[in-house]
This record gives sequence, structure tokens and C-alpha cells, in this order.
Amino acid sequence: MGKEIFFPTGLLGFPSCQRFNFNRFNPGDGSASPFFIFESADQEVSFPLIHPDFVARDYLLQISAEVMSSHEAQSTADLVALLIVTMRDRVEDTTVNLQGPLIVNTGSLIGMQLVVEQYPLRYPLLVPAVQ
Amino acid sequence: MLILSRRVGESITIGNDVVVKVVALSGNQIRLGITAPRDVRVLREEIFNAMQEENRAAAAAPDSNRRLEDVGKQLRSKTPERNDDE
Repeated sequence: MGKEIFFPTGLLGFPSCQRFNFNRFNPGDGSASPFFIFESADQEVSFPLIHPDFVARDYLLQISAEVMSSHEAQSTADLVALLIVTMRDRVEDTTVNLQGPLIVNTGSLIGMQLVVEQYPLRYPLLVPAVQ
Repeated sequence: MLILSRRVGESITIGNDVVVKVVALSGNQIRLGITAPRDVRVLREEIFNAMQEENRAAAAAPDSNRRLEDVGKQLRSKTPERNDDE
């Protein structure tokens, strides 16, 4: 990644943010991290992101023909889904937004936030281990 | 707020390319059919509001880097079988 992604319809709540950069999050201690930083080029705002594989194994998205064409995508293989992470006061309360995935075409560098009503808005990232 | 009366099967237009049609009526529920261009997002208002709020809550706080490191460490200990590399 590292290239600017264009979100024609912006992000919900941030309609004027259309240009974003993705970068891998690099922890200060040099360790690897599953997170990306999604940073607006239009406004001083950024969001932590994570790939769905780290969150829910059975997370599947239906990509409609409209979404395909708005991304100028030939095949779903061009598209990457990333999820926005919401950090809260306590680490264990961190949630992931499964309802509003970011879908990015890595070829055309066009993205949008989908709304998938059947998935939760606040899915716990760190589910406590079953006792 | 503009208020219009419509019967089932009738429509209103918004701007040049949005049409909202009353499709069916049952009790206090109304089914609407909406035709709009691809770049016009159509959502139930409560979903729209919740998504806006969640995005705003996710916008990174000043000390987010340190907290994100902590979250990453906990996640790693939760899923040891998963490697962080692409």
C-alpha cells in the first residue's frame, strides 16, 4: 500500500475526507503489528484498521455489481476489506466495526465504506477466553 | 419540513434523479422503493447515525499509538497460531 486511496463518497461522519493513506502500524518496540493506520489527507484525522482475518473467521461480504463498478473492479480479487478499530478507555473494550467495512480496490485505488446491516457495529476484538 | 400525501403506487422525486415510491402499506409500516444514482447512499436513518457515531469514536485519540500497541499485544496472546506477517 502506501499509495493514496480515493473515497468518492467520503467516510460516514467525515464526508469531506476523500483522500486517504494506508500504512502499516509500526510499534515503537519494533515488533510486528496486525494494524494499519488509515490517515486522511484532507483533515487531520486517522483510524486504526485491521484485516477481517484477525477478527472473525466467518466474515463474508456480498459485493454487488454496483459496488464492483463503482470501484472499477474487474474481479473481487482486486478488492481488499479492512475494518475500523474503535479503541476505548480499557484495552479489553476495543471493538471492530464489522457493519462498515472499508472496501478498497488495490488496482484503481478507489475505496468506499460499505454498510452491511447483518453484521455488528461493535464486535469485541479481544473476546475473553471461555473459562 | 415539506409534507406530501401519497397513495400506494405513487412517487415523489427529489432533485433530478432520486425517486421515492410508496410500494405497500400495512398497519403503521410503509414500504418504500427508492431509485437513486449509485453514488447516493440510501440508509435507514438510525443506521446512518450509528455509523457516523462509530466512525467518529474510532478517529484516533492523541495517545492512540501506545494504546494500539497494547491492543496488538493482547491480540497476539489471544491468537498465537496467527502470524502477523502478510
